[in-house]
Amino acid sequence: MSRMKFLCDTDRCIECNACSTVCKNEHEVPWGMVRRRVVTINDGEADETSVAISCMHCTDAPCVAVCPVSTLYQTDLGIVLHDKDTCIGCGYCFYACPFGAPQYPNSTLFGSRGVMDKCTFCAGGPEENGSQAEFEKYGRNRIAEGKLPICAEVCSTRALLAGDGDTIGEIYRERVIHRGYGSGAWGWKTAYYPEEKS
Amino acid sequence: MSEKEVLVRGRDFTAYRIGGAIAALLLAVALAFQFILLLSGPDVTAPERHWGVERLRGAPVEATAGDVAPATGDNALPDSGLLAAEILRNRTRLQDERFRTGPSPDGDQPPLALEGGDHLTARPLMDGGRLFDQEGDRALTRAWASLDSDTGSMLAPGREVVGLSSLPYPNAPLFERPAARDWRMGMVDVATHLGAFAILGFSFLLALMLAIRGRVPIAHGKAHRRVRRFNFLERANHWMTAGSFIMLALTGLTIGYGDTLIRPFGEDVLGDAGWLATWGHPLFFPPFALGLLVMASLWTWRNLPEKLDWYWLKRGGGLFSDNPDNPPARKFNAGQKLIFWSAILGGGLMIATGVVLMFPYYVFGLEWMTWTMLTHAIVSVLLIAIFIGHIYIGTVGMQGAIDAMWDGDVDYNWAEEHHELWLKELEAKGLLDDDTRTGSLT
Repeated sequence: MSRMKFLCDTDRCIECNACSTVCKNEHEVPWGMVRRRVVTINDGEADETSVAISCMHCTDAPCVAVCPVSTLYQTDLGIVLHDKDTCIGCGYCFYACPFGAPQYPNSTLFGSRGVMDKCTFCAGGPEENGSQAEFEKYGRNRIAEGKLPICAEVCSTRALLAGDGDTIGEIYRERVIHRGYGSGAWGWKTAYYPEEKS
Repeated sequence: MSEKEVLVRGRDFTAYRIGGAIAALLLAVALAFQFILLLSGPDVTAPERHWGVERLRGAPVEATAGDVAPATGDNALPDSGLLAAEILRNRTRLQDERFRTGPSPDGDQPPLALEGGDHLTARPLMDGGRLFDQEGDRALTRAWASLDSDTGSMLAPGREVVGLSSLPYPNAPLFERPAARDWRMGMVDVATHLGAFAILGFSFLLALMLAIRGRVPIAHGKAHRRVRRFNFLERANHWMTAGSFIMLALTGLTIGYGDTLIRPFGEDVLGDAGWLATWGHPLFFPPFALGLLVMASLWTWRNLPEKLDWYWLKRGGGLFSDNPDNPPARKFNAGQKLIFWSAILGGGLMIATGVVLMFPYYVFGLEWMTWTMLTHAIVSVLLIAIFIGHIYIGTVGMQGAIDAMWDGDVDYNWAEEHHELWLKELEAKGLLDDDTRTGSLT
C-alpha cells in the first residue's frame, strides 16, 4: 500500500506563492477561499523561514471525526475528501484542524458561512472521477489521472513534495544528508504520527 | 393538615407506572448501546474509500494477493489497489533531484503511467463508517501512525506556529496548532459520551422512579378549588422560552448526535437534517434570549436562596413519600429555584458562548473559539439533562403540577401540600376568595 503525504522543505521554500496560485487556477477555487497558503515565520529576521501549508491529509484525521454530517471521509491512500452536498458549514472541521485548512466562502454568522472547501490532494470528490460535476465542486482530479498535486509538481525549488509518504521521506532524507542540514519535516508529527511523543 | 388521611397514593397511577416501566426498559437498552460505544475505545478515523485501477493501457487488471477488497455490488470489475499505489509511487519519484529525474519534458515517462482513457477509481470500502468500527479499517490507520526510525529521525516537533502570510484570507498566517487534536478528543471522546450518559442516564432514573414510585399525588385529593399561580405574561413567557429551548436542544442534538442517530437512514438525510438544524439553531436563539431576560426580571426576587431551601433539600422535597407533610416552601421551593438558576446561569452561558460563535473573529480568534465551542457543547448536554427532570416533574411526575403553567391555576390542595407558606401568604393578604379564582400573581 501507499500513503499520500505532503512535505515542505522549509530550507528550500522561497515564498514565491506559486503553489497557492497554481492551486487556485487549477481548481478554479472561488473568491475568498484558498486551499494552499504560504506562511512566513520570523519575517525579516536572520532565521526567516517560509513554509507552504494546506490540508495535510492527517492520519486519524480529526476533521473526519468531528464532522456532524459525515461530509468528510478518508480514502485508503490517506487522502481526506469532502462531500459538498451534505456539508452544513458548521465549522467543526475548522476547529478540529491542526493546520487551518478548511475554508468557507464567508467568515460570518454560523450557518451562513457556506459550504466548506479544502485541499483535495487533487483527488476531486465523491462524484464520478473526472466528471464535470466533480470539477465544478472540487476542482481537477489529478490523482485519478495518475498524477500528483499540482502545487508540488509545479514547485520550482522542489521544496514542496507530494505523493507516497515513504518516497518523499526518502527524497528529503537523501537531500538533507547531501547538503548537511535540514530542519525536519514540519507538521508531520501532528499530522501523521499523533501518538508519538516528541 | 396531616390530620386528613392520605386519599391518593403514587402507586395507584397504574397506567403511568406501566408507561414509566416501558420507558425505563427502552432507555436501559439505549444506555447499554451507549456503553458498548464507549467500550469500543477512543474514536479512530478509518478510511471509507478505496482507490484502485481497473484497466491499464486498455487491458483489464487483476486484483492480486494483498489487495484490499472494496465493497461489492456497485461495480463488478476487479481492480488493483496495489497497482494504483505503484503508479502514484512511480510518479512521486519524479520529484527527486533534477540530476536524477532530468528535465521534465525530455525525461523518461515513469513506468506504469496512465494513458488515454485509463484512470483510477474510487469505491466505497467494505467496512467504511465509524460506528462499531471494524478492526480492518482501523488497522490501516494504525499502520500509518506507526513510526519507523528513518521517518522518526526527520520529524520536527509539533508546536503552535503562526507567522505572516501575504495572502489576504482570514487565518492565513496559521501554520500549525496541535491543540486542535485535543479539541477533537474533547468533542468526540468526552462531550458526546458525557452528554449521552447524562441525558439517557437521568431519563432512565426518572422513568424508573415513575415505574416504582408512581406520580407524586395530591395526597388529599383535589379540592376543586382553584388558586391562581401564574399570570398570562408568566405563562406566555415560560412557553416561549420552553419552546425555543426545546427547538435549540433538538437542533443541537441533531448536530451532536446525528452521526449516530440519523446516519443509518442515509448520508443525504443526515445532510438535510444537519442543514435544517444549522439554520434552525440561530433562529430559535432570539426568543430564547428574550424569554430568559423576561424570566429573570419576573422571578429572580422570588428565587433568592434562603435557609428554608436547605431544609427542603435535606428532606429531598418530600419527593419519595406520599405523605402530604412536605417540607414547607414559599412560591418557589428549592428544587424550582435550582431549575430557575440553571436556566438563568446555564442559559446565560449558552447565549454568551453561542453569540461568540455566531460571529467568528469578532470576539475571539480561532484558538479561543474552539474552547468556547467545547464549553457550549458540554453545558448544553448537561442543561438538556437537567430540563428533562423539569419536564418530568412538571408533567407525568406530579399530579396537578402541569395546571400551574397550563391554565395558571392550581388546585388548593396541591398548593397546600407543596407551597404551604405561599398559600398562607395569600390568605394573610386576603388574596384568596372561596368561590372565585382570585389568587396571586406574585
